[in-house]
Amino acid sequence: MTRKSSVFLSAIAAQSAILGLLLLHAAISTRTHPPELTEKRALVKALHLTDLCLFTEARYTRHLSQADLSTPFQDHPISLEHFPSGSFLGAPENIRKINEELD
Amino acid sequence: MKSWIEKQKYIIDFTLSSLLRRKVKNIGLLILYALIVFILASVMFFTHAIKKEASLVLRESPEMIVQKVVAGRHDLMPLRYRDEILKIRGVQAVEGRLWGYYFDPVFGANYTLLVPPATTATEQAETEPMRTVVTENEHRHGPEEQAMPLVGAETIGAGNIVIGNGIARVRNAGKGEFILFRTHAGEGMPLRIKDTLSSASELVSSDLILMTEPDFRRFFGIPENYVTDLAVSVRNPEELSTIAAKITRLFPDSRPIIRDEILRTYDSIFNWRGGMMIVILSAAVLAFVIFAWDKASGLSAGERREIGILKAIGWETSDIIRMKFWEGAVISLTAFLAGVILAYIHVFFTHSLVFEPALKGWSTLYPQFKLMPFVSAEQLTTLFFLTVVPYTVSTIVPAWRAATIDPDAAMRHTGE
Amino acid sequence: MIELFDVRKVFNTGKPSEYSALNGISLNISSNKVTVLTGPSGSGKTTLLSIIGCMSRPTAGRVKLSGREITSLPERFLTDIRRKTFGFIFQQHNLIKGITALENVMLPAYPLGERHGPLKERAMHLLDRLDLSRKAHSRIEWLSGGEAQRVGIVRALINDPSVIIADEPTSNLDTKLSYRFLEIVETFKKDGKTVLITSHDPLVYQASVVDEVVRLRDGRLEGEAP
Ligand SMILES: Nc1ncnc2c1ncn2[C@@H]1O[C@H](COP(=O)(O)OP(=O)(O)OP(=O)(O)O)[C@@H](O)[C@H]1O
Ligand SMILES: [Mg+2]
Repeated sequence: MTRKSSVFLSAIAAQSAILGLLLLHAAISTRTHPPELTEKRALVKALHLTDLCLFTEARYTRHLSQADLSTPFQDHPISLEHFPSGSFLGAPENIRKINEELD
Repeated sequence: MKSWIEKQKYIIDFTLSSLLRRKVKNIGLLILYALIVFILASVMFFTHAIKKEASLVLRESPEMIVQKVVAGRHDLMPLRYRDEILKIRGVQAVEGRLWGYYFDPVFGANYTLLVPPATTATEQAETEPMRTVVTENEHRHGPEEQAMPLVGAETIGAGNIVIGNGIARVRNAGKGEFILFRTHAGEGMPLRIKDTLSSASELVSSDLILMTEPDFRRFFGIPENYVTDLAVSVRNPEELSTIAAKITRLFPDSRPIIRDEILRTYDSIFNWRGGMMIVILSAAVLAFVIFAWDKASGLSAGERREIGILKAIGWETSDIIRMKFWEGAVISLTAFLAGVILAYIHVFFTHSLVFEPALKGWSTLYPQFKLMPFVSAEQLTTLFFLTVVPYTVSTIVPAWRAATIDPDAAMRHTGE
Repeated sequence: MIELFDVRKVFNTGKPSEYSALNGISLNISSNKVTVLTGPSGSGKTTLLSIIGCMSRPTAGRVKLSGREITSLPERFLTDIRRKTFGFIFQQHNLIKGITALENVMLPAYPLGERHGPLKERAMHLLDRLDLSRKAHSRIEWLSGGEAQRVGIVRALINDPSVIIADEPTSNLDTKLSYRFLEIVETFKKDGKTVLITSHDPLVYQASVVDEVVRLRDGRLEGEAP
């Protein structure tokens, strides 16, 4: 019969090894910018894009940074939202500071 | 040293034996614990990766966008604004952007319609080495074809569109097919899909429809002397805010959005303060409080008795504490590692499957993007200290007092 | 081997419940002998035993073990002496439930960190000596009373102590099992161990294996003036 502690320690070692491998995977795949990233950047540059296409349900979630100053979800940074995605997004900072003078 | 290791192993042996006595309870605890770590770590990985990616990708955004605001909404921008802004010292170029939304009633999806700027993507892309990767999602591109479609207005050609991969997926439409749109005037307007944008770029392009300027104007009925907004570039980035201020002074009904603000917007996206995040977080915290309370509410009489026995047969106070340490560590460490591993796989290999319903929300068109695995060591450490440490400590603390009882107490116990 | 000089023990000093359980006990316990402490209930037998076994400290007086004063040693050293010198057999056998007999037997050796193989072998060997090898992997709650007590005895032996201390070892046993226990005590004596037993069971203190009987009453040795 193997000792319980040996089983446990090997399990922890195995888990750590897996985590280590995953972190290595993370390090390797982000060390150089992969072609996908370059492509996205090129597209953003070429098409003058300003936002990520995360939520397509409303214009103020699709183009977060371009949203109107008076769209409902910007009334209050944590106001409840019609759309689930609204609950993931805080109001953009430039809108929270709506009263701040630009100059 | 060797005997120290052996001693720890013995203590772990005993801890495991004693944990296994309440198999169902402890395995249940472990699973619940791992689940909480999994959710927290998934949120963490997802938000960090998306923020990081946003900051890398949107660095290429226009330096400044100028909108015209009418009655609290942005409105079409007269081209005369462009000419005036161009005169401001330090402004290098001002280009009108033409873009808008189209709701597709058949599929219930929203599209973003966009006219590519005069200079084509390929022209701009030539300045840096690039290659487009075609992934398996993208079944529409044959291998022999050029992967990066030509997105310049001239290459699209009148009557043609280039669509994002999300639209192609939702409509199950491919190259050469026609999509029938309805113009502002209610007429049907069939446009031919000339090409699709790659699936690798879905994070920025999933819902895009690129078309020529005349088509766009006909589509929405926008007069020649209007654009949606202006993209301004300046000679010296330092002067951006000064120029923005000048623009607002010149046109009080305009609203400049500088690139930094865009980047900051995405830096604060998925904030911990945000609605759902706070719900997830507080659920997790609550669960922890329950654990901790369960632990800290003290040891049962049985546990006390056991500690007494161990002391009587020669265990020191420190051995008891060590045993309790392992009792907490066995569960929390296993759960932490399992939760983090699963979260990594979940976010970076399965496209955050669990979050998908919430992230999708009401969107019909949901981009399928593969996040780059940016992992912050700092966040991982924080998570470790937020999960493993409190649990372990809350296991040890109540045992502390019991561990210092006199060993002879065990001699005085009567019965059970 | 064990010398006691005027040992006193007061519980709950300064409280209304203050109680003086031992009132000046001087005693010599010689090695390789079987000594029985007897006396009425509440006379202080268990208290004296726990002081001798380094489980608690006397309020006054001194205890010497093989000529070494142990009364004033810090807890760490006491624990160390306790687990190397003494093996305890308890009245309620005080085994840990839910784990196997073998694990229970090995428990006192865990903090010493010796190698697993030899320890397990020794535990199995000792279990075998008391006819328990078949029960090694049984959980404690499945054992009969006599088996449980013998597991308790094996546990007392695991660190090869020179002194075996047993508090009322036969109080839960029937006559047959009590005789069996005395047989085991014989083997301890043969192995050269010192045995110290408390009991008010005549079967024990009148047994032939017993070398010396010490009678306690009200925290004093019987016959000494209060
Ligand atoms: N921790 C304690 N606090 C207060 N009083 C105690 C404590 N331990 C023992 N006593 C008291 O000391 C006295 C002696 O107790 P002890 O257990 O030594 O008696 P005993 O001779 O072993 O009795 P028995 O034969 O019933 O086991 C008893 O009156 C008991 O109530
Ligand atoms: Mg007693």
